[in-house]
Amino acid sequence: MSSEEHIHHPSPAQYWKIAVVLAVLTAIEVGMFYVNKTYDLGFLNAALLLILAALKFVIVVGFYMHLRFEKSTLSRFFTAGFILAASLYGIVLTALGVVAIRGG
Amino acid sequence: MTELAHEAVAEHEHPEHESTGVDSRKLGMWVFLSSEFLFFGALISNYLLYSNRAGFQGVYPSEIYDIPFTSVSSFVLLMSSLTMVLAHNALSRNDQSGTRTWLFATAALGAVFLGGQVFEFTEFIVEFDMKLTTNPAASAFYLLTGFHGTHVALGVIMLLSLWGISRRQGGISEKHGMNLELVGLYWHFVDIIWIVIFTVVYLLSVPPA
Repeated sequence: MSSEEHIHHPSPAQYWKIAVVLAVLTAIEVGMFYVNKTYDLGFLNAALLLILAALKFVIVVGFYMHLRFEKSTLSRFFTAGFILAASLYGIVLTALGVVAIRGG
Repeated sequence: MTELAHEAVAEHEHPEHESTGVDSRKLGMWVFLSSEFLFFGALISNYLLYSNRAGFQGVYPSEIYDIPFTSVSSFVLLMSSLTMVLAHNALSRNDQSGTRTWLFATAALGAVFLGGQVFEFTEFIVEFDMKLTTNPAASAFYLLTGFHGTHVALGVIMLLSLWGISRRQGGISEKHGMNLELVGLYWHFVDIIWIVIFTVVYLLSVPPA
C-alpha cells in the first residue's frame, strides 16, 4: 500500500453508511423531479436539486476520494480546477442567457 | 550491481516524494482530474446552450428522457464508487481476495452502467429517430454522455487489468497498490461527473421553448 495511506480513513462499515446517505440523496433528487412535475416549483426546484448534487459531489470527493484526509496541496489543485471551470462556463452561460432561462 | 543500479532499485522500492510531500503520481492524477473539469464543463455548457433552443427539427433529448431508467443507472454507478473504495480498503488491510472481489464488482457495475447507456442510445435512435445529426441538441447530448461513457469504458478496462494482474500474481503488490489508488481516483471522478450530468442534464431538463 502506498506510504500516503493514513490511519484515519473510514472503516468499511462507515463506507456502507456513506453509500446509504448517497442513495437517499439520489432518491430525494428523483422524488423532487416528480414533485416539480406536479407542482412546478420553478427556481426552488433547480436550487434544491443543485444543492443535493453538490452534497453528493462533496461526500464522494471527501470520503471516497479521501480528499479530506489528504494534504492540502491536492485540495488546492482540485478546487482550483473546479473553480476555474465553474467560473469560466458560468460567465459564458450567463452571458448567453442560458442560466437566466433555466433559473426562471 | 553497479552503484547506479543500486540507487535505481532503492528509488523504486522507496519512491521519493516531491517537495510537495505528495507522491508525484498521485499529484499528477489529481491535476489531470482537475483539468477534466474544463473538458466536461465545455461539453455540459454546449448541451445547456442547445438543449432547449427552439427552432430545430426532430426530437429533443429532453422530450424523451426515461428518468426512472436513468435513475437506476445513476444508482448503479454511485454504488460502484462504494465497491471501489471497499477494494482500496481491502488492499490497505492486505486482504487480496477481498480486493479482487470488490475490483471485479466495480468493473461489473461499470459494465452494467455502460449497458444501460447503450440501451438508452439504441432506444433514442430506433424508437424516437433521434440520431447524432438530428439537431444540435441531440448532438450535444450524445457528445456529452458519449464522452462520459468512454471514460467509464476506460475505467472498466483499467479495473479489469488490475483484477487480471491480481489473479495472475496472486495479489496486488505495493508497487501496484498505488496503481489501484490512481484507478480508484479516476473511477470516483467519473462518478462525480455523472452526479452533475444526472442533475443538470436529466433532472433539470427544460423542454424547448
